[in-house]
Amino acid sequence: MGNKLKVSTNLSCDVLVIGAGGAGLRCAAEILEKKPGASVLAVTKVAHPQKSHTAAAQGGVCAVDPSDLHDKPIYHMFDTWKGSDCSADQNVVKKIVETGWDQLMWLENRGMHFTRLQGGALGKRTFGGHTSGFGSVSSFRAVFDADRTGKSMMDTCWQEAVKGGVSFVPQSVVTELLFKEGRCIGAILFKEKDGEFVSVLAKATVLATGGCGQVFRITTNCRDNTGDALAVILRAGFPVMDPEAVQFHPTGIVGPGILASEALRSEGGILRNKDLEPFMEKYAPKMKELAPRDIVSRAMESEIRSGNGVLNPDHNIEHVWIDLRELPDYVHDVKLKEISGFFKTFVNIDPKKELCPVRSSNHYHMGGIPTTEFGEVQKTSDEIIPGLFAVGECASASFHGFNRLGTNSLLELFTMGKFVGERVVDYIKDGSLTELPKEAGEVTFSQFSKYLEASGKGNIGVIREEMRNLMTAKVGIFRKGNEMAEAMESLNELRKRAEVVALASKTTKMNQDLHQRWELDNLLDIAMITTKGAYERKESRGGHYRDDYTERSEEFDYHTLAYMTEYGKVDLGKRPIDMSIFEAGGEHCEHFKMIPRKY
Amino acid sequence: MADNYSITLDIKRYDPDTKKTWFQSYKLDAGRILRFVDLFRRINNEQDPSLAWGSSCEHGQCGSCAVRVNGKPLLACELLVENAVKDFGTTKFRVEPISIAPVVRDLVVDLEKAYEKVHRAKPYLIKRAPLPPQSSYYQLSPKEIERYEDATRCINCFSCADACISSHKNFIGPNAAMASIVRLMDPREEEKEERLKLLYSEEGIYRCHSSKACSFVCPKEIDVAHFIALAKEGAFRGDNGE
Ligand SMILES: Cc1cc2nc3c(=O)[nH]c(=O)nc-3n(C[C@H](O)[C@H](O)[C@H](O)COP(=O)(O)OP(=O)(O)OC[C@H]3O[C@@H](n4cnc5c(N)ncnc54)[C@H](O)[C@@H]3O)c2cc1C
Ligand code: SF4
Ligand code: FES
Repeated sequence: MGNKLKVSTNLSCDVLVIGAGGAGLRCAAEILEKKPGASVLAVTKVAHPQKSHTAAAQGGVCAVDPSDLHDKPIYHMFDTWKGSDCSADQNVVKKIVETGWDQLMWLENRGMHFTRLQGGALGKRTFGGHTSGFGSVSSFRAVFDADRTGKSMMDTCWQEAVKGGVSFVPQSVVTELLFKEGRCIGAILFKEKDGEFVSVLAKATVLATGGCGQVFRITTNCRDNTGDALAVILRAGFPVMDPEAVQFHPTGIVGPGILASEALRSEGGILRNKDLEPFMEKYAPKMKELAPRDIVSRAMESEIRSGNGVLNPDHNIEHVWIDLRELPDYVHDVKLKEISGFFKTFVNIDPKKELCPVRSSNHYHMGGIPTTEFGEVQKTSDEIIPGLFAVGECASASFHGFNRLGTNSLLELFTMGKFVGERVVDYIKDGSLTELPKEAGEVTFSQFSKYLEASGKGNIGVIREEMRNLMTAKVGIFRKGNEMAEAMESLNELRKRAEVVALASKTTKMNQDLHQRWELDNLLDIAMITTKGAYERKESRGGHYRDDYTERSEEFDYHTLAYMTEYGKVDLGKRPIDMSIFEAGGEHCEHFKMIPRKY
Repeated sequence: MADNYSITLDIKRYDPDTKKTWFQSYKLDAGRILRFVDLFRRINNEQDPSLAWGSSCEHGQCGSCAVRVNGKPLLACELLVENAVKDFGTTKFRVEPISIAPVVRDLVVDLEKAYEKVHRAKPYLIKRAPLPPQSSYYQLSPKEIERYEDATRCINCFSCADACISSHKNFIGPNAAMASIVRLMDPREEEKEERLKLLYSEEGIYRCHSSKACSFVCPKEIDVAHFIALAKEGAFRGDNGE
């Protein structure tokens, strides 16, 4: 059956947007605003763009309000730079921060819902790491819609896309990019409902497939965040930047990994181990529960490693407790109503009376497909691939460096979405469609026929779980050279095991086993480059923490570029960190040199 | 409360290649706080990788995982084993796809088709009201918003449409109708006529028999029927509007 795979339909369009989350659709909307009537196809793996993971973001989105006398763009730039552990690119930071508020207004004017103050203005919150006066006081910079800011933003983005006439291609995945003379000219898609492969020729192609958190066992990311576009890029011979830059959030609810806000700790929640000892005192005697995310995460993991964790038998996950029993009823019933509700809904626990199980969870990928400040995808640190763009969490421009501040991701989606849209419009002005190359689909079909022809034993889901456990244990919050070397060997073995697994059914129509088989290859690719990147980065920086190299080191003041055309053979290159704000020498430039990340 | 339950899931299956439909029974020993999506995953990993089911966020926030359990539409990512046993008074569950669109395979339905109705209701601002002079955005008081805020929480899981006794005929459906009603209540929308035309059309809200099944099943606890009732009365803008 496998050798019969073929492209069943040929489509063409002006712009192919692969991934219809907040970033992809903001970009699509911009293209249609600037060039009404352009044909834009937006592909999504989920059943409808509204189901994209942007809808799960809770807390808020930040932007400097020009009418706020206490806040200034330069403060936000500083916070982002410092938060990134001095590895964000300053040209990108400046560009995004300066346009933040205008772009937020774009959303509001198109009907995005926000929580408001009595007078009708947008309500604001503080968020960790966001300050005024270069760290002197917390700033109120994040606007929000209750605990569903991402959903409100996602709704506005897909609604504008519908209004603008974007054609959606739901429940479909990109499996291969098409090139001609070094230019990207479209892609091959697998439409899962029909079980068909289609080719799409496009004047420009935008990748916006979101995160890859499923590489880890414990994650706040959705089931679909398997880093597909990163794997597709690797297979085409191009690099992924900073794969080792992964962020963990201290309080994921066991076992679904649902994010429970930091507010739990700021309101007085206490972390306890299996003996109910309040362990944060040992790790951060002054700040205790209020220490920064990474310190709290490491403390929790240390407890679990030294045998002080508790095993949840249902999900088979070890965890610690957060004790919310002492919080006043007002906090439970009003201030933290939603989060209290999560414990009730997902683990059936009443936080007023019972201890709640939490574990640090993988949360965000700062790394991704390297791009310029216009979202043009790079093949080396100074060469772009014409016709190919990337935006959102799958891309790395890099706004977040090695650690993302809360609320900065949603900001990046709609600002970069706009910039990329503008650049695409410019690019397709005198672009034309080429013919479908003869070899179109070869990569896909050789992959998929192998999946369909395999006849050995094993189960894809089980291998996926083993890989995720491995990554959480050895390439998670604590990383050590020898353990990562072991992890790379294990990944090679898992990949070999995956290769022989016979699928439960050989159909291509909505065959979940086939879908997961392909995803597993993507996950294994991302896992390998993440591990190799982390292994070679012999320092600690932002979310990347090495037990054996606990300090940041000048020697590694660069972005990693990871290439992998043969499994396990990872070639590493470098991209310099842009320090243009510092180099411009303007007012306050001294805050933009390599500074320590101390809070 | 038990720590473990012996659960039987009778899952309705459909194979698009052979067009066959059947029920298949799976038995699992499951911990109390596993969710139905976790059970489906375990079936894939331990018994039958061919079973297809839908989910994405698994946080109750995307509406991809609605199924019927013993006749009731709900989110599989929010249904804990121990609650299911308690609420339905049994350890045997019949699991079926929701009935709002053709089944693609097993529990996966063609939500693209279902969403056509939501798109038809034009959930965006059709025509933006002009901005007040010198402002970059609309000032809306929490009181104004409160009237329709609940409806903005809809995740289009289509549970209400599944439960609705009218939506299988020509009714546009509770969630799609509500998508338009929200914008009629949103002071930022200027286009009313077009919206009213849809709401009072052949497929509009007069198809609704006020059974309130929608409000009863909504996992987001939105009182959908209340919004439809407001629309029947034409009470979109409260005391300060028309
Ligand atoms: C629980 C949680 C809470 C968060 N809270 C906040 C917050 O408060 N503030 C903040 O700033 N950030 C927050 N974040 C981070 C932020 O939500 C994400 O980084 C952001 O939404 C990613 O948007 P995106 O458009 O890049 O990707 P997504 O919204 O994930 O969209 C990706 C799109 O690509 C599609 N896709 C995936 N693979 C393929 C493929 N192979 N082929 C075709 N299409 C594909 C998907 O179906 C989807 O349509 C949070 C994240 C999580 C997980
Ligand atoms: S109103 Fe409720 S039940 Fe209906 S689609 Fe929306 S969230 Fe689902
Ligand atoms: S999977 Fe998103 S609501 Fe259940």
